[in-house]
Amino acid sequence: MRILLTLTVWFGLLLASAASAQSLEDLARQLPEGSFNDRAEVVAKIGATGDDRAVGLLNALGEGELRVREADGAVIQVKGRGSKAVGYDPLTGDELGPVGSGSTESIRVNNSLRRAVRAAIGLLTLSSPDAGKRLAAANTAFAAPDPEQIEALDTAIAKEGDAAVRTAMEQARAAAVLASDAPGAEKVAAIGIVARRGGTDALTVLNPYRGDADAPVAEAADKAIAGIERAQQLWNVGQNVWFGLSLGSVLLLAAVGLAITFGVMGVINMAHGELIMIGAYTTYVTQQVIRTSFPGLFDWSLLIAAPLAFLVAGAIGVAIERFIVRFLYGRALETLLATWGVSLILQQLVRTFFGPSNREVGNPSWMSGAFPLGGLSITWNRFYIVIFAVAIFVGLLLLLKRTLFGLQMRAVTQNRPMASEMGIRTARVDALTFGLGAGIAGLAGVALSQIDNVSPNLGQSYIIDSFLVVVFGGAGNLWGTFAAAFTLGVANKFMEPFVGAVLAKILILVFIILFIQKRPRGLFPTRGRAVEG
Amino acid sequence: MASTSFIDRRLGVFLALLAVVTVGVPLANTALSPESGLHVPTYMLSLIGKYLCYALLAVALDLVWGYCGILSLGHGAFFALGGYAMGMHLMRQIGSRGAYGNPVLPDFMVFLGYEKLPWFWHGFDMFWFACLMVLLAPGLLAFVFGWFAFRSRVTGVYLSIITQAMTYALLLAFFRNEMGFGGNNGLTDFKDVLGFSLSSDGTRVTLFVLSALALGGGLLVGRWITMTKFGKVLVGVRDAESRTRFLGYRVEQFKLFVFTVSAMMAGVAGALYVPQVGIINPGEFSPANSIEIVIWVALGGRGTLVGAALGALIVVAAKSWLTSAFPDAWLYALGLMFILVTIFLPQGVLGLIEKLGRGRREQPEPEAVEAEA
Amino acid sequence: MSDEVRGLKGTQLYLNDVHRSFDGYKAINGLSMVITEGELRAVVGPNGAGKTTMLDIITGKTRPDQGRVIWAEHTDLTKLDEASTARLGIGRKFQKPTVFETHTVEDNLMLSLAGDRGVKASLLFRIAKAQKARIDELLELVRLTSARHRLAGSLSHGQKQWLEIGMLLAQEPKLLLVDEPAAGMTDAETMRTAELLRDIAGKRSVVVIEHDMDFVRALDCKVTVLHRGAVLAEGSLDHVSANQEVIEVYLGR
Ligand SMILES: Nc1ncnc2c1ncn2[C@@H]1O[C@H](COP(=O)(O)OP(=O)(O)OP(=O)(O)O)[C@@H](O)[C@H]1O
Ligand SMILES: [Mg+2]
Repeated sequence: MRILLTLTVWFGLLLASAASAQSLEDLARQLPEGSFNDRAEVVAKIGATGDDRAVGLLNALGEGELRVREADGAVIQVKGRGSKAVGYDPLTGDELGPVGSGSTESIRVNNSLRRAVRAAIGLLTLSSPDAGKRLAAANTAFAAPDPEQIEALDTAIAKEGDAAVRTAMEQARAAAVLASDAPGAEKVAAIGIVARRGGTDALTVLNPYRGDADAPVAEAADKAIAGIERAQQLWNVGQNVWFGLSLGSVLLLAAVGLAITFGVMGVINMAHGELIMIGAYTTYVTQQVIRTSFPGLFDWSLLIAAPLAFLVAGAIGVAIERFIVRFLYGRALETLLATWGVSLILQQLVRTFFGPSNREVGNPSWMSGAFPLGGLSITWNRFYIVIFAVAIFVGLLLLLKRTLFGLQMRAVTQNRPMASEMGIRTARVDALTFGLGAGIAGLAGVALSQIDNVSPNLGQSYIIDSFLVVVFGGAGNLWGTFAAAFTLGVANKFMEPFVGAVLAKILILVFIILFIQKRPRGLFPTRGRAVEG
Repeated sequence: MASTSFIDRRLGVFLALLAVVTVGVPLANTALSPESGLHVPTYMLSLIGKYLCYALLAVALDLVWGYCGILSLGHGAFFALGGYAMGMHLMRQIGSRGAYGNPVLPDFMVFLGYEKLPWFWHGFDMFWFACLMVLLAPGLLAFVFGWFAFRSRVTGVYLSIITQAMTYALLLAFFRNEMGFGGNNGLTDFKDVLGFSLSSDGTRVTLFVLSALALGGGLLVGRWITMTKFGKVLVGVRDAESRTRFLGYRVEQFKLFVFTVSAMMAGVAGALYVPQVGIINPGEFSPANSIEIVIWVALGGRGTLVGAALGALIVVAAKSWLTSAFPDAWLYALGLMFILVTIFLPQGVLGLIEKLGRGRREQPEPEAVEAEA
Repeated sequence: MSDEVRGLKGTQLYLNDVHRSFDGYKAINGLSMVITEGELRAVVGPNGAGKTTMLDIITGKTRPDQGRVIWAEHTDLTKLDEASTARLGIGRKFQKPTVFETHTVEDNLMLSLAGDRGVKASLLFRIAKAQKARIDELLELVRLTSARHRLAGSLSHGQKQWLEIGMLLAQEPKLLLVDEPAAGMTDAETMRTAELLRDIAGKRSVVVIEHDMDFVRALDCKVTVLHRGAVLAEGSLDHVSANQEVIEVYLGR
């Protein structure tokens, strides 16, 4: 049954195009003639032909590529400029050879003609065999309601098999009805249909009817707009929460490594940001190698880069611990200064080898684009970064709680002499713990390379934030870091619409400064015997 | 080893050298002809004047870090505030000579469409008021910040981190055009001060001498503070804070006092710096700047005041030379300096010099045994 | 002030039903104790009994969850911080000797001398003759005269203990809280310390925490045994040593 229907539709379309073949060429020839208004009518007629080839023709017109050949008055499409200009048949797309400069004259287009072109293309694509194109056409028609299109839309709706596309077409038709001089009752019904669509474009369509002369229409429009706005506010909250979670996950990524080195070991590593940067550059190098040698693996580049980044950053971390931090245990302020020195050197090293400018790190296909969630549009890269951050966090928790290394690590930080007496090689544990924190910074770098500029300065923009997150959450408490990252992220994004991004950031900083003074040990202090004296 | 005279050897030597420079450099600038080999060109004079301001800033930081253990990573903010206070005065001195010719509003305000002067710009047309603000603005910030921080006993790295956050927040704030401090361009295009053109040699020499006097004054004030019982309490706070508390000293008051004095000193340094370099912009608030001050003090030798000044002069001179001779090498050098000084030279250059000097003169005294950590 | 304290004439320090827990662990659990003016008291108890925590509470370092801590019949100590209790006249020696290591022995004592502790007074301070004499006297007492110009950090453990006791005395406190003074001292030094503390008592109240039983015996005073944050027994050394519970939890065997 279904197949039969589709077949008939196809057959009908074929017939229609065959019948209009002649007239399309005629119409094309009329395009250069007459006033803009006359030509807009021609465009509308071209749209009404329903001919597939008309889309290309109209597109060329819209782009300003349609020109008249002076020799024979033929309408051709010209691509390229000057000596490189090449002519094409606008209907078939056949190449006609090079076009000498001065041998053609442009067909001028103004805005109203461009609008007509778009509407006509919209109509044409309404009957495209590609559902995506039909949907796009319906949306275009919705955004620019035109009573003239009602008929075309009716035909399209009758033929439409895809439910989502049909809904969009019905909404477009309702919008067109609103713009027409249909009776009030019909318009009220149309408002209902438009309102169900929701979102900003529905508001744009409805807004002109708030003060409609027809009282019931005006009232219905008012009600519908209020409803949409309420829903939008809800989605706005949702959007802020999502942006906040997204920012929170970035903060978590940046801070969680620090929660190990600073929170658990009590070592201030000011080069933490640079380890993140190293992770990002590892990703860049990995992608370069893949691009040149194994292009097929590009979608896997991040998964390949992640362990590498962990190892590279981790190794640097171990080196920092062995050669510098080790000599400074118990002297926190000196450690801070020495690791700051390391950060400067790492930055300059990267600058020397990779240059000071931003490096391009690509998104694999599964991380590009966005997907809708209700009224939200969620980008895949942000989505995966949230997942990635939480996964690292959980992995770290498990590592600390469930493995022998985690046990040794906690033993060493809690009671070094006793741990050493029990045969734990404390120096090794120190180095590995520091390496772990550094390695996680490297992992963070892989993720952040997807959303931030990969430059030698990448790390600096995270270091202050990540320290504040760890301190705010309470040093030594991983869950505190988790809570702090997301709290600060969400708070920041909720403030942004009111005060702007920079002021929001300043306010958060001031808030944390005040908070630390009220509760110096953070949200979730880890209590322990404070050393007397 | 207890050097009890007010002007001890190291301070005496340094002040004497400073006096020579204060008199010698301006003389070499004005009295000697440009052809003479010893002639100091005016740009060089201002450069040295700038270094002297940095040295004063280092002394200010040493007062809180070296003596009281407060590692401020935000002292650049106090320096910048003093600089802005002076910059605002110089800005208003431009008057109608600005590009837009507005007698009251500085150029950037006209450009940004200000109708009238923001309230906090009033009074800066008067020199004495600006001078007062050079002290008050950083002093007040330090007082308020310290009042909260010290009362709630935020110490050690936590304090360092929030001082860094403080200067970072100010950096972001001053970048905003809405703040009314010229946004990221800052304040510049100054013309004159108290009627003297800033580009004339005479004014430059005067500013140079003032900077040297301020450095000398800062050292003497610091020396006086640290010589008194107050100074000894500070060191007590640094080494055993709770012991000091249990002796009945209100540690937070001592910290607050020295922090505020130090911030004012930094403000004076900033105020003298701005007319000599001709610009102040939000970059002065950047956290990296503030950390660099710390390495001056550490390299010179903390807890000695003179060492801090010396360290600043050595590092900024090295920076000027390296950034022009080997631009890429500077950050490596600075980074290495941070690492090597903290690990191998905890007493700084001054400590090294004095150790070498002592070693040659006599056997180490028995009481000079290192205090265990 | 409160009824319970009124009438206790001559009470220097009064603790009643004090509680304090850390993360659910009851370090102090219903502790009550009275120290009279001029009394010398020894406090003993196993590790973790809460002895040091008791001193923390008295000096305002730690706030009790509940209970009363009254100074000289009418001052509530639970509201005060360390500096305030010190200014009232409570001096404390820490379990781990804590002196100003980069100051000379003399400066350590100078900083501890009774007097105005304010910022202004410290800036304008000039040492008086009487104060100099007092420092000489204290140096003699704690046998550090020859070390007067040495840095405190270079002293031996026992010498630091002495210096800290000297600093305590320099404060002219009404009550001395002395946490394990004999640790790190030779037997002879220990006995001298006991003697010194006995001398001090009478003019001032003294609370001594100590594990060394010979030392406690030498103090020859009332003994309080602390266990699990509360008083287990109180009385003369012989009296508490005979107590069955005390033998079980503390003296052993
Ligand atoms: N600030 C604190 N935080 C957490 N726990 C604490 C704190 N202070 C004391 N405690 C705990 O309270 C208990 C009592 O400690 P306290 O130091 O008072 O014992 P003590 O009797 O002095 O023992 P010792 O003879 O070893 O000195 C111990 O278990 C200790 O771990
Ligand atoms: Mg104890």
